[in-house]
Amino acid sequence: MDVFTLGFWIIGGILFIIAILKGKGGAKESMKKSRGMMKNMLGDIIGIICLIGLLLTFIPPQTIKTVLGSENVFFSSLVAALIGSVTLIPAFVAFPLVGSFVDAGASIVPGVAFLTTLTMVGVVTFPLEKKEFGLKFALTRNVLSFSAAIVIAILMGVIL
Amino acid sequence: MVDLVKKNKLPMSVFIVYIILFIVNGDLGKEALSNTSYYLIEMFQILPVIFMLTVAIDILIPKEWIIKRLGSRSGIVGGVLALAFGSLSAGPIYAAFPIAKMLHKKGASVSNVVIILSAWAVIKVPMLANEMKFLGSEFMLTRWLLTVVLIMAIGWIMKQAKIPISGEEDQVKKRLYVKEDYCIGCSACQKSMPQVFEMRQGKAYVIHENIEIDMTLLQKNVAKCPTKAIIMND
Repeated sequence: MDVFTLGFWIIGGILFIIAILKGKGGAKESMKKSRGMMKNMLGDIIGIICLIGLLLTFIPPQTIKTVLGSENVFFSSLVAALIGSVTLIPAFVAFPLVGSFVDAGASIVPGVAFLTTLTMVGVVTFPLEKKEFGLKFALTRNVLSFSAAIVIAILMGVIL
Repeated sequence: MVDLVKKNKLPMSVFIVYIILFIVNGDLGKEALSNTSYYLIEMFQILPVIFMLTVAIDILIPKEWIIKRLGSRSGIVGGVLALAFGSLSAGPIYAAFPIAKMLHKKGASVSNVVIILSAWAVIKVPMLANEMKFLGSEFMLTRWLLTVVLIMAIGWIMKQAKIPISGEEDQVKKRLYVKEDYCIGCSACQKSMPQVFEMRQGKAYVIHENIEIDMTLLQKNVAKCPTKAIIMND
């Protein structure tokens, strides 16, 4: 567990204890409500996680490497953004991967597109997002995030 | 059993794919499983915290506070607060779903929910440190700045487009609600049945629809509403 997750645990734990002490009777009901909400999502979350494992097997970092290193920047940016949308790889893998390309002199545009859609657009988490927030919300948010990632990538290319 | 499968379509179909993969190519299946384990551990590390936080938010933060700070009239200050809240969290985006939902139920606006979700996903502090290490501070800062601006823009667009938040279970449960566009905020329903209706920014809202309600009184209220904004479905 990294420091930040640990910090999150500590803060969450303290707030939880305060809430229980302060909430008295309400705490039980609130816990029941939260538990119900989590239970509702748990099946989907586990499904999503297993799906991520599958996707990573079929789209390994080597594939991403080939895309990021491609000569055609326009094409590789688009594909990089799409791959970023469907995969969820940890930041400590993604940053060094993109870093090694930038160091080698490749364009940063595909790398930025990839990094941004990686976290902001979630094709895999889409079913859960749709279930919890509605189709319109999930669709609009993901489409806008994808466009935003492209805009960020292009601007980064212009600025840096 | 049928219900269980219906409710868990996604995990069930993934499970079937795994079985097929193991039959066709056992090595690939094993690799997929070992890839999965990292994320499973991450999930078990983060979900208990999310549970504790949703309970804490529910009990400790009053509705009025959330409406004021993160509601539809919270403006840019609300946006910044949402951004800070999302950035200071830990865990993957799905961990943000229960929290964002809880905040929305307590009055946070759609645009602020979007900002929390996006910030939670993209601009977390430990990730920024990692990015700086591998790509340099100039790269990290520029991307951070652009991302913040665009996240705010996405929130704004979704607000302008009036995108609603309505989860599947909300739609099923919505037997009683107030049409926001019709309500003129006379607060007659709220005065008559404060346990059911609440005034939020000059509009009536249904706060509890599943409690034991005096149906005759409720029907009276529905009939009494001057603009017929209270909708009751059976």
